[in-house]
Amino acid sequence: MAKVEARESTIIFRPNEQRHLMLARLLQLASPALPVGAYSYSQGLEWAVEAGTVIDEATALVWIGDQLELNVGRYEAPMLLRMMAAWRECMSVGADETNAEAETTMQQGGRAKDALRAVACGNTPLSQLDAEYLASRESAELRAETLQMGYSMTRLLNELGDFPQALLDELHRDENQVSGSYLYVWTCAAAHWQIPDQDALTAWLWSWAENQTMAALKAVPLGQAGGQRLLQEIGRCLPAIVEQAMAMDEADISNFAPGFAIACCRHETQYTRIFRS
Amino acid sequence: MGRYDHEMALASTNQLTDSHQSPAGWQARLAMEFERRDDSTILTRHEHSGPLRIQKALYPEGREICHAIILHPPAGIVGGDRLTIEVDVKPHAHVLLTTPGASKWYRSSGATAAQSVSLRVGAGSTVEWLPQESIIFSGAQAQMQAQIELAEGARFIGVETICFGRRASGEIFDRGNLKLVTDIRQQGRKLWRERGVIPGSSALLNSPIGLAGFSVCSTLLVAGATIGPEVLAACRSVTAPEVQAASGVTAMPLLLVGRYLGHSTEAAREWLVALWSIVRPTLTGYDAVTPRIWAT
Repeated sequence: MAKVEARESTIIFRPNEQRHLMLARLLQLASPALPVGAYSYSQGLEWAVEAGTVIDEATALVWIGDQLELNVGRYEAPMLLRMMAAWRECMSVGADETNAEAETTMQQGGRAKDALRAVACGNTPLSQLDAEYLASRESAELRAETLQMGYSMTRLLNELGDFPQALLDELHRDENQVSGSYLYVWTCAAAHWQIPDQDALTAWLWSWAENQTMAALKAVPLGQAGGQRLLQEIGRCLPAIVEQAMAMDEADISNFAPGFAIACCRHETQYTRIFRS
Repeated sequence: MGRYDHEMALASTNQLTDSHQSPAGWQARLAMEFERRDDSTILTRHEHSGPLRIQKALYPEGREICHAIILHPPAGIVGGDRLTIEVDVKPHAHVLLTTPGASKWYRSSGATAAQSVSLRVGAGSTVEWLPQESIIFSGAQAQMQAQIELAEGARFIGVETICFGRRASGEIFDRGNLKLVTDIRQQGRKLWRERGVIPGSSALLNSPIGLAGFSVCSTLLVAGATIGPEVLAACRSVTAPEVQAASGVTAMPLLLVGRYLGHSTEAAREWLVALWSIVRPTLTGYDAVTPRIWAT
């Protein structure tokens, strides 16, 4: 199939259409159909089932709900917002340079790319944020999970035909690392598609919760209706968690969750398992 | 200094067991510098202000490894206190740092008490940071911060045990706040980053993903060396020395992390020492011998 040449940024949408498009892009990013392999990870939930901590719908809700409220919502969520802001900053510099380039004619080919790279690479907020996120992963499996998903997402963005080459280049990190974390690559796509912060965050947390629920369905196991009750309850809690993350100071960020950390460690040597974390 | 003497006298007679506020708090700082000379690790410089001291350098394992005991004579940390410990280890040295007893973080009527530890470990050097446990009294406002900077080939072995409340006297940590900040970097690369915000009212204390109702939480961090599968397996085979406990060990690039949750400080220490005894010979060629001060 011929590669799609037109980028969204080059098409003029009316305001209403723009809003519908953003929602469509957001649903695409949050969909379990996104081919990044999320379904193969349980993030310690499989061990919690093995250990008898999660045995039914109620205990699954405690595990997933607490993870969301006390760990993911207090660390990953504010990190997502910081990364979104950093990507936007990086893209706006790239866009300014593109305009300037158009005005000052041809001799400066590649300047936009250079400008984008200068902001995005090296000792800048973006790569620092990604490094901070990776250093906060509690176990080998959690670290491998986010790197594998980041790698798959990077490959996907390369296939979509909607992302500037300079941006795609930035997603392939330095020689020590094949790609950035999943959060890093995902926020790149969300920022490029101009998804508002609170929507991106809600979608990220939702798809995380949906994935955890699917893991619980298989591992506990739970019935389909039970899974939907879980999601309904978690959905009810999401607005408060999003609002809290939007207002969170650096000093209130917290990823301290030793019970979760131990579950992730124990999963690494779990005898019978269907998940990769 | 008169004020300090008075406060220390109070502390030593154990009158600081309940809410206590020093008017402006103690600003205490201890800076140490170690260097390798011939076959010895030498304490080349140390300066202190306020009630933080270093006991003289000890060599229970020969001249290569310098043991230093950090003393905080008041033995308790109260609201408003600021303790700063800065350790600078030059290349190819080996330093073991510990404390003579538990750090008690007393109940505060509002002011925050903070301890900041900064370790700079030079190329090829090893620092073992083995303080005894921190007891966070209910109502304490505590901040514990540790920044570890490793140069090329430098290693760090660190332990941390936190007791939430005074279990022996039936006190649970149900008021106050504990903030934790830990960062390990090697040559600018971030290896470990943990942030903890744990209010006494937090659901984290009883949540299965948090402390799961346990009152003692220990962490072992070994950084700067990649831990092989045999050593990792050996660490994992260490069973918790108390019936009700949970533990886990994982290895990432240049980092090993061990976690322990239980009810007994002694059991937690036993578990940490067992892991340290596996990791230390592999990393340093020296067997683990528990510091004698721990037995007193």
